[in-house]
Amino acid sequence: MGAKNYEVTLNEYSLGRKPSVWEVLSSEKYFKWVLIVPLILVLLIFMIYPLIWCLYYSFREGGLQGTVFVGLKNWETMLHDKSFWIPFLRTIKVTAICIVIELLLGMGIAMLWNRDFKGQNLIRGLVLLPLLVAPLILSLVWNFLLEYNIGFINQLLNAIGIGRVKWWDSSYALYTISAITIWQWFPFATSVLLAGLKSLPRDVFEASRVDGSSGWFTFRKLTLPMLSPLIAIIVLLRTMWLIRLFDPLYGTTRGAVNTELLDWMVYRTAFVYFDVGYASTLALMCLYVTMILGAIIFRQLIKALNESK
Amino acid sequence: MKGKSIFKNIVFWIITTVILIVVLGPLIWIYLTAFKSADDIMTGQFIKQIIFTPTLDNFTRLFTAFPFLRSFLNTLFISVGSTVIVMIIALPAAYSFARWNTGGGHLLFTTISTRMFPGVVAALPFFILYQRVGLLDTYIGLMLLFMYFNVSFATFLLYGFFRDVPVELEQAALVDGYGRFDIFRKIVLPLVRPGITTTAVFCLIWSWNEFLFSFLFTRKVAVPVTVLISSFWGSIEVQYGPMAAGAAIGVLPTLIAAWFMQRYIIRGLTFGAVKG
Repeated sequence: MGAKNYEVTLNEYSLGRKPSVWEVLSSEKYFKWVLIVPLILVLLIFMIYPLIWCLYYSFREGGLQGTVFVGLKNWETMLHDKSFWIPFLRTIKVTAICIVIELLLGMGIAMLWNRDFKGQNLIRGLVLLPLLVAPLILSLVWNFLLEYNIGFINQLLNAIGIGRVKWWDSSYALYTISAITIWQWFPFATSVLLAGLKSLPRDVFEASRVDGSSGWFTFRKLTLPMLSPLIAIIVLLRTMWLIRLFDPLYGTTRGAVNTELLDWMVYRTAFVYFDVGYASTLALMCLYVTMILGAIIFRQLIKALNESK
Repeated sequence: MKGKSIFKNIVFWIITTVILIVVLGPLIWIYLTAFKSADDIMTGQFIKQIIFTPTLDNFTRLFTAFPFLRSFLNTLFISVGSTVIVMIIALPAAYSFARWNTGGGHLLFTTISTRMFPGVVAALPFFILYQRVGLLDTYIGLMLLFMYFNVSFATFLLYGFFRDVPVELEQAALVDGYGRFDIFRKIVLPLVRPGITTTAVFCLIWSWNEFLFSFLFTRKVAVPVTVLISSFWGSIEVQYGPMAAGAAIGVLPTLIAAWFMQRYIIRGLTFGAVKG
């Protein structure tokens, strides 16, 4: 009974026999929608419910006991709220720092490894290892490694005469957190760019070398433009992950010492203060920021996917 | 010329070694610390940080003094459960997108955009909903949330794999009298098996590593490994030993996955855009 396609079904229909429900559902016309309905239902329920909820409460004030309608007050508060704008700008700063350094490191190492050497597959595999490990666990480990007295890094620095560093001092802590994130993610940039370098046409570079172009010139005029789609992908994906940075904060400073970022601030308003109305407003604001970014990011990704085929 | 190339080689290997030490050091550190006694962990003597007598104390404490085994099984159960649900929903949808471009591209775009949906936006509404219907601190509650995070990612990644299946194969099967459902089940699915494995492993790992929602939505019953380990870092004292031992076990599955999935990691992380 599976052996029926649309035409057959149609013929039977015109002959007067009513097709079974199964035949209709697996017919050429409806099958593609049947396959997709569960996904759409899940996304609708899980997206629309929190959205409407937040929208409703963003116009209200109060905690878990009950709320009252206050109109646009929450939105006004947010516009003048330093405890919103400082983490907001800080998130942009961390995102920028991480992406730039990851790209520079990634590009440098990719150029270094873009040749045949002994154990190249082993080494390329090894640097991928931290990528899939839970960021929370890694940040706890780093917190321990960077502990002032017993942390290994400080003991090492002390032993070679540099002395201990206060990694979690309020003026460095944000950079320390960025460094942990960079450490985990620069292999991503490295691997993507290395894959890109390997796929570049060799003869163009050969020609450029024969023409006597300098290495820097070749890099700027040939390598960089050819790798730019990949660089765009790295920037877009990393932006998407970095503006959601939360786990490394929990594993280290827990939002103290000038390290509070966007998601942490929403978390604090919602789950520490239980300020339902204001938290909903902040959450929606986060959503708007990411929606704009997301629209850009995924248009580009789909484009890249279509080009790579 | 020859001398110069030997020099270049030495520099190359020094830099490569440094990179490897930096990348792998902290991971090795987890395993070193896990086998240290409490005294060796707290020692100020530099050399003792590396050379010490290994002990299994931390592991014994981890399993006796803390509910680690339970947490580990919780994580396993929740990850596998949510991945199964994700695959049941994402496989047909991805096939539909790849084969018929259902919704003319807009629907696929909308689907993947939901991946950007900030977790914190969903946290409070779902927390209050879960509290009301009694899903807080339950397996099924977390499974559903993880399913929602992963389903769009899985659909998009699978979409890339399904697109690689030649249409001609399906047309031939249609001519042979196969129905649409049988083509999907008997012809297309076996062909994208590597894609299914890759996607499933990624979903498993994302669920395995998830922290924010696990932390907010569990209390006692469904506490996963990440949340338990984070609780070792208390405000009064830090349980370094059990923390390292827990981390050693907790990250092992993801390390193994990273090793065996090498070829697909980049493809997965870039949603299929870079084939690695």
